[in-house]
Amino acid sequence: MALKEERVIVIDPGKCAGCHSCEMACAMKHFGVCHPYYSRIRIQEFRNVNTFVPITCQACEDAACIKVCPMNARIRLGSGAVVTDEDKCIGCRACVYACPFGAPVIHPDTGKTMSCDLCMDDELGPWCVKACTMQQALKFVDVRDAARAKGRDFAAMLKEQHEPPHQEETEFSFSFSVE
Amino acid sequence: MKVVIVGNGIAGNEVALHLREHGPRADDIDITILSAERFPEYDPCSLPYFVGGEVDRDAVFRKSPDYYRNSRINLVLDNKAVSIDPEAREVKTEKGDVFGYDSLVLAHGGSLFIPPIPGIDLDGVFSCKVLAEADRLAGHRGSRAVVIGSGAIGIEAAEALKLKGYQVAIIELLDWIMPTLFCEGASCFLADEMRRYGIEVYTSEKVLAIEGKSSVKSVKTDKREIPCDTVVVATGVVPGRPLAETAGIACERGILVNDRMLTSAADIYACGDCVQTFDAVSGEDCMYQLKHNAIEQARIAARNILGEDARYRGAYPFARAHYFDTHAVTFGKTLKGLEKICRPEQVGVIERDTEQGYLRLLLKDGKIAGGQAIGAFADHAGLFMGFMWRGVDMNEFKKNWRKIGELDSVFPWQYRKIGQVLGFSALDAPDGMEKARV
Ligand SMILES: Cc1cc2nc3c(=O)[nH]c(=O)nc-3n(C[C@H](O)[C@H](O)[C@H](O)COP(=O)(O)OP(=O)(O)OC[C@H]3O[C@@H](n4cnc5c(N)ncnc54)[C@H](O)[C@@H]3O)c2cc1C
Ligand code: SF4
Ligand code: SF4
Repeated sequence: MALKEERVIVIDPGKCAGCHSCEMACAMKHFGVCHPYYSRIRIQEFRNVNTFVPITCQACEDAACIKVCPMNARIRLGSGAVVTDEDKCIGCRACVYACPFGAPVIHPDTGKTMSCDLCMDDELGPWCVKACTMQQALKFVDVRDAARAKGRDFAAMLKEQHEPPHQEETEFSFSFSVE
Repeated sequence: MKVVIVGNGIAGNEVALHLREHGPRADDIDITILSAERFPEYDPCSLPYFVGGEVDRDAVFRKSPDYYRNSRINLVLDNKAVSIDPEAREVKTEKGDVFGYDSLVLAHGGSLFIPPIPGIDLDGVFSCKVLAEADRLAGHRGSRAVVIGSGAIGIEAAEALKLKGYQVAIIELLDWIMPTLFCEGASCFLADEMRRYGIEVYTSEKVLAIEGKSSVKSVKTDKREIPCDTVVVATGVVPGRPLAETAGIACERGILVNDRMLTSAADIYACGDCVQTFDAVSGEDCMYQLKHNAIEQARIAARNILGEDARYRGAYPFARAHYFDTHAVTFGKTLKGLEKICRPEQVGVIERDTEQGYLRLLLKDGKIAGGQAIGAFADHAGLFMGFMWRGVDMNEFKKNWRKIGELDSVFPWQYRKIGQVLGFSALDAPDGMEKARV
């Protein structure tokens, strides 16, 4: 158990084949149904370039979702995972909007949010990772593992967005519209 | 070191928590919180949901009495701070107690703005700003309510009362509801949604009086008279300046602070709803009285008290509008807000209106300065805010978007996603939108 608590899911989007097995596994684990709507991990598809990016909660250190939740329903567990307390959640989606990746998923029946809990109650570890054994796009690794560094880069790249704005001034005017 | 915090709210508690978690191990910080109210910390944002019966009363609390004991925080309840003597480094309370400090934090938020309307003190007039008021409103039995003011709090109060079975009308003085949060188009859509749920919405209408002998009988506006037995006042929050002014601390609309959350007086910090700070993107003076800003400001104050040179990046508007099945979000500037800080030719608008929802992005010099979204588009607000922080030039972005597609890299997927959401690629758009999230 002690070891488990120091592990994280590391995503390597370059390896994702877009098979959605992780979504099925997650839905199966948490709700016993084989349907992607019930999954906490989601694949962003960019089919024209054959690119697939698994998106799941990164359990950010300074998590935006926690700060904006009016009900204080986004909570950090001892394992580091950031999850929703269903008893308090009112389904307002502020956490989805504030998250740099829109990671929290809305439960299709309750309308409340949910996000990765690392399957902490299962000795085998996260089901999505098991489902991705072939592709190895998802790995559950020890934080001290070298792969963590890679995961960090990924997370840092994603998080960079929430950095303070650039201050340079631009002096041109424009007009812009999308059809 | 002795730290006194005025206000047992979001900001005050964040300061205390940070000091305890990150302060010296030797534990030599003596923390006192002065509270005007009788409760452990609760979240004002959750009050409408308690009133509407969506959650139990317990759910509004962020702290238990045990927490203060276990964290060795001296919580002084029901004892309002009334004056500060910066020379003697002392705070005085209404019960005559005096607290000395090394560092003082003003985190006492604001109070409800009470409009000067005849009848405002009749029985049956409520607010939803503090727990004691929410308790009264939750316990009240009425059947027809009028909500005065259509800011986020007014909208949430209207939903809460509707859920409780009241017939509800909401009155807004300005031209559209949530006027500081949404532009006219989105707001009108949201008002129509409210009407669809059976809430009467009246805009550009001024409340003249609340009528009744001892208790409320009706609300009279410049256009009509609405019979009712319940009135909720939600006309905004005025920052708590008077306490700061007793110490001669510089104030304008709110208490003035620098980027370290320090006021004009030595060792007196301020954070939360009571301060006036600067906008993270435009740098202009602002007062966005929102929870995430209170938390971030509180952390900066605490870090500076601990001797760190922490600088605030600025405040930013971010709010959701959620009632029944309607979901919307707004961040940054509205068109009106933007027009106040730049020339018309600097302003740009990107708008999308599809079956899946509505999106409007406000651009300043080609860069995202704000946005509003309803429905599926709202789920991507985080990505657009990321673009806002980074100052991505949307003209350049549109020009180069194809090239991003040619790069044989998954990065940056956010760029791809935003291109999809904005409909740059017909190939991507249809099933690229989120599933089960409309
Ligand atoms: C109904 C409602 C809904 C809201 N919804 C949202 C939302 O969805 N999202 C969002 O971002 N924000 C929301 N807000 C705003 C948010 O609650 C505030 O921005 C936040 O609470 C500010 O924190 P604060 O610590 O500055 O003030 P507060 O949390 O108000 O705390 C100030 C405390 O100081 C006490 N106090 C005042 N004067 C004194 C004194 N002289 N001495 C001692 N104590 C004093 C007060 O009693 C109070 O407990 C909402 C507010 C309300 C009222
Ligand atoms: S939901 Fe988003 S903001 Fe919250 S911890 Fe997860 S990744 Fe971070
Ligand atoms: S949807 Fe639930 S968890 Fe997310 S911000 Fe709203 S109340 Fe909090």
